[in-house]
Amino acid sequence: MSERLWSKATFAGYRWGLWNQREHTALLKVEGIYAQDETEFYLGKRCTYVYKAKNNTVTTDGKPNKTRVIWGKITGVHGNSGMVHAKFQSNLLAKAIGHRIRVMLYLSRI
Amino acid sequence: PPGEAAVRPGERKNLKPRRLIDAGGKVKKGKPHCSQTPVLVRGMGRYSRSAMYSRKALYKRKYSAAKSKVEKKKKVKVLTTVTKPVGGDKNGSTWVVNLHKMPRYYPTEDVPRNKQARKLRASITRGNILLILTGRHRGKRVIFLKQLSSGLLLVTGPLSLNRAPLRRTHQKSVIAASTKIDISGVRIPEHLTDAYFKKKKLRKPRHQEGEIFDTEREKYKITEQRKVDQKAVDSQILRRIKCSKLLTKNLIK
Repeated sequence: MSERLWSKATFAGYRWGLWNQREHTALLKVEGIYAQDETEFYLGKRCTYVYKAKNNTVTTDGKPNKTRVIWGKITGVHGNSGMVHAKFQSNLLAKAIGHRIRVMLYLSRI
Repeated sequence: PPGEAAVRPGERKNLKPRRLIDAGGKVKKGKPHCSQTPVLVRGMGRYSRSAMYSRKALYKRKYSAAKSKVEKKKKVKVLTTVTKPVGGDKNGSTWVVNLHKMPRYYPTEDVPRNKQARKLRASITRGNILLILTGRHRGKRVIFLKQLSSGLLLVTGPLSLNRAPLRRTHQKSVIAASTKIDISGVRIPEHLTDAYFKKKKLRKPRHQEGEIFDTEREKYKITEQRKVDQKAVDSQILRRIKCSKLLTKNLIK
């Protein structure tokens, strides 16, 4: 299947107050959602940060390759413009800011 | 024959009618009836619903539903009370007795409740097409057969269309399409339960030093039982799918 089963999102930054940032929560901007009422579909959906590193790692359903994943979940809405926050199993790397996060279509509620 | 819509190349010639009642009152059995539009593009038929209505001459073919089932349902009525005669002058002639009486004994501790019925999303019904989101078969559209006792859904590709076998999936990892197939007559074998589909774990050899790394069943092998069951279910379902090109194309990988 050549279909993409995930939505495109960008890691916009960490959650932060005026002076401090909280790396445990990431802010995501999902492509196509620019209002708060549109985010309802994405709440609870799992999201992943996919990246590559030098050494091979084990993958399910395949040979070991250089791709690595950090899994997370969209936890809530952020603001009025469709931003969403997500918590990952381990905090996201700062170098991922501005980069692609995949928002999967599961856990599905439709 | 006069009155039938002109047949174009690519269209089915025999349009089988729905269940209709003969002049003599007998109910005729027709084959499963699906959308007869020729496929334009995957997911879209050549003719609209109203166009198909006139092409199939449905304005001429309006049949009443078989009445027997409806009548049967209406007759069954559960009696809750019974009136019985009473002796004596001033007692009134009859009294009303509850058939379902209040219990004489209530236990002091709460009786443990049965397991709650497994929830199933309203969008997932028998014969529904589901889009699988995770796992080996992600992106494939499969047909929902039934919900197993564990809550997992039993689905099938069918195998010949998209290589998705009889399998369990979870509700949460599936999107329900609005497309449904009528599988009311399909009989799913009774032995297809959770235990049947459960993964078999590798047997760990006990006290056998030489064979610690020699594991049995490293690779999953398709058992003959599975093949038989697959065929049994798929043959019934394929019959209902094949009548619609649109539907078959939808399911094919």
